[in-house]
Amino acid sequence: MARFVHALALGLVGAGIVHLSILFLLPAHSVRDVWTRLSQVGEPYATLRLDAAGQDGLPAPADPFIQAAACRFDLAEGMLHLEAEGTVPFWSISIYDDNGLNVFSITDGAAADGRLDAVVLAPAQARRLHSRYAAQTDRSVLLQANVGRGIALVRVFVPDETWQGVATAFLESLRCAPLPLE
Amino acid sequence: MGAMLKTILLAGLSLALAIGGGAGSVWLALEKAPPFGAVRAGPWVAFPSAGSREADPYSRARFARQGGIPLGRSEGIAFTAGSDSQGRALRRDCTYRIEGPMPAARFWTLHAADAAGRVLPPFGRRRAALHSRMVLRFSDDGFLIVVSPHPAPANWLAVTGEGGMRLVLTLYDTPVASGARLGELTLPQIARTGCDG
Repeated sequence: MARFVHALALGLVGAGIVHLSILFLLPAHSVRDVWTRLSQVGEPYATLRLDAAGQDGLPAPADPFIQAAACRFDLAEGMLHLEAEGTVPFWSISIYDDNGLNVFSITDGAAADGRLDAVVLAPAQARRLHSRYAAQTDRSVLLQANVGRGIALVRVFVPDETWQGVATAFLESLRCAPLPLE
Repeated sequence: MGAMLKTILLAGLSLALAIGGGAGSVWLALEKAPPFGAVRAGPWVAFPSAGSREADPYSRARFARQGGIPLGRSEGIAFTAGSDSQGRALRRDCTYRIEGPMPAARFWTLHAADAAGRVLPPFGRRRAALHSRMVLRFSDDGFLIVVSPHPAPANWLAVTGEGGMRLVLTLYDTPVASGARLGELTLPQIARTGCDG
């Protein structure tokens, strides 16, 4: 009887360990997060449209009035320069890490003239930006994000069909470029 | 011989309990238990920390299984309602009046979705969606939205098909999302006025 109780207790402790292991390993082994899905379709720094049509199994905004485009980046290769041409009624940028978690976001309210021109950088890179890329980025919004590899995702509000052309042009002009450290 | 068999059986029991119980309890917690961190206002529910680094381990695991591109706190917050203000499940063959105060936001959108979160199919050229800049308002800036399978004057959110649905209200660029006054949040009422059949 004592051995049975012992085995039962061992099993329960084991169940707790298995429970916690699965819980904490799940996010790292996910195949559905936005990083994994984008990695299967596009190269780093390539702009991909995230359409409601759900092409290539990419996640799309749930809101029918919102359209989006995204690119992958790696801050180890340098800061990320994000730019798009044109003016839309509303845009926002989300930075996701390589687990697909949203770590940082801004809206066009942060940009002086409504233009999308932003630099994503790790806190340690801020000094380099000013010494090396001052001319190129003096009008950019600086986004300090505590990420290594990640995704920059731009959302655009499309109030009605008359805005569709402008929104498409805006998202297709989205350029993600690394600013190398050396 | 008997003692050895007993040991093997007991070891097997421990293992089965550990693996089965561990995996089963995680599945139960992620699939069956209600998620933590909900913000409620009447029938509306939002999970502001879901898909962010501030989320608890269970929300994170849940999010990892679903994927998606959650809104950041500066971008906005999405509220979902699966029932009306009286607590009855929303149905596509019923008519609902949505009215009441809306929190401050740059703009908001409202759409009807199925259980999987997809927007309901359009009614002709009318999408099952509206936003704040197309909504007609009263002189006091209030508004009335009618969610119905039948045409309604002014702000008609056209619904098609049968079965249940959810309403999703997304506020963009709003102080609500940064969590300042989530406790005293008021969102519009959803009142059922009638059903077909």
